[in-house]
Amino acid sequence: MQNALKKVAVVGMAGVFPTCTDLNDFRDKLFANKSLIREWDKATIHGKNIRSTVAGFVTEDEMDLEIVPSSIMENYPETYIDKLDRISANNLATADVGSIWAMLSCLDAIKMAGWTDKETQSEETGVVIGSGGAGHEILRAAWHNFFELKKKSRLAGSHNVDRAMVYRDAANVSCLIKNRGVCESIGSACATGLGNIGYAYRLIKFGLQDRVIAGGVEGTSFETFLGFDSMQVLSKGFSPDKSSRPFDVNRNGFVCAFGGGVVALEDYDLAKARGAKILAVVDEYFNNSDGDGDMFAPSFSGQQRLWKGLLKNTSKKPDVVKVHGTSTPAGDAIELLSVVDALGDNGYHISAPKSQFGHMLGAAGAVEFIASVLMLENQTVLPCLNSDELNENPEGFQQNENWAGPKTPLASFRDLIPQQSLKKEINTVTCLNYGFGGTNSAIMISKDN
Amino acid sequence: MDRQEIIADIVEILKTVRTIDPEKLNNITEETDFIADLNTPSTEMINIAAKVEQKFDIEFEDDDIDDLGSKVKDIVNLIIATKEKA
Repeated sequence: MQNALKKVAVVGMAGVFPTCTDLNDFRDKLFANKSLIREWDKATIHGKNIRSTVAGFVTEDEMDLEIVPSSIMENYPETYIDKLDRISANNLATADVGSIWAMLSCLDAIKMAGWTDKETQSEETGVVIGSGGAGHEILRAAWHNFFELKKKSRLAGSHNVDRAMVYRDAANVSCLIKNRGVCESIGSACATGLGNIGYAYRLIKFGLQDRVIAGGVEGTSFETFLGFDSMQVLSKGFSPDKSSRPFDVNRNGFVCAFGGGVVALEDYDLAKARGAKILAVVDEYFNNSDGDGDMFAPSFSGQQRLWKGLLKNTSKKPDVVKVHGTSTPAGDAIELLSVVDALGDNGYHISAPKSQFGHMLGAAGAVEFIASVLMLENQTVLPCLNSDELNENPEGFQQNENWAGPKTPLASFRDLIPQQSLKKEINTVTCLNYGFGGTNSAIMISKDN
Repeated sequence: MDRQEIIADIVEILKTVRTIDPEKLNNITEETDFIADLNTPSTEMINIAAKVEQKFDIEFEDDDIDDLGSKVKDIVNLIIATKEKA
């Protein structure tokens, strides 16, 4: 028998954010138009071998964690110490740094949600958290010791797999909170964070779970940074706070960042019945693929279909569009034009929080989802820092005779893109994220009325 | 190196294993069982074996590790046997 579709509420959220002590600090810095991006010593020490040197990173010390170096293997974190005793040694033993962030965020999100242990540990509670990268820091050291230093495989010990496997974040969280429902990870590159939240929304919507811990995490990893640096796609040549500049005519790449976002989603009726504070309601989630065979290039038609799918079953229109807005030359232009194509050129604002904290890869969609809930709560649009100058001339592709989108230059949409936080009535926010492979995700959230 | 000295060195190794409660290391005997008495996660046994190899400057055979029991005396016996073979 088909279950009746459920309404889904956001009842808790937490995360790990560069330079921020907690969610409140994150909120304060974002609405104060601060940048969370810094020069990264892990990059600068490599001199001219590396192209970009800025990042949104989080150190172990900033998270009150301490690495226990292996006594038998070079540069290998045997485990971590939680200086605040939030996570037990047994749970820390199986976790890379990103999984620890996922666990810490999960505990805070559940606390905010007010779930009892009985609710958390039930068969109706799921965990759906993903990461964009593998456990590179763990794998690199393990492989180096085996392949280059010719050490025995057992020196890497028994926590090489659990700390590096694809769904390590979900697995560690599930082992921590002992839920008995779903435990999975969705992987969709830079759409991972939103993809997991979207999947969690569907699990509740279709009656398969009552509540789900969902999100995305990208643990600080210089190896991850290096992969994108080698592609020459990272921002270069600006001071840290000016490096992420979505839509600006001089943008030249994204700022690699790390962090995590975890949200607690719940069947709206159950949340209401127990008197929970509803942070937001999820109206709709839609995702698709470009279908053009291109791994990297953004697709206008893919994004057109994304908007069509998102708006298909609702008459709502967003007051704010939280864009993917990475600060890459190709991505931003296509995205802005697809938003305008879907919504017209007025009646909403565009927010690009990557301008403040960079691109958190697999965590981006989740952290930006949290930033969007904060926009609803604070009735304030987060800015697009550094979007100082928009292109006064049409983009090259706009002059192609086959181009089916708006033909006016990006500068004609200046009024949509605030450069500072902007107070206004916000009832609905749409969040957009895309990933390598041509995957597109969109979610719409609203204030609870 | 007598058996008590070996046990003392093993205890020093166990102190570095954060999943073992240090309180439980005060009365270690040959009959102490890593898993039953110390609540050591079974996955930690390979980590302990690797640290023992380093500390005692020996190299266990893979089969010996596969067959290793979970009591302190089992690893003491293996250390002595491996040293004698070397």
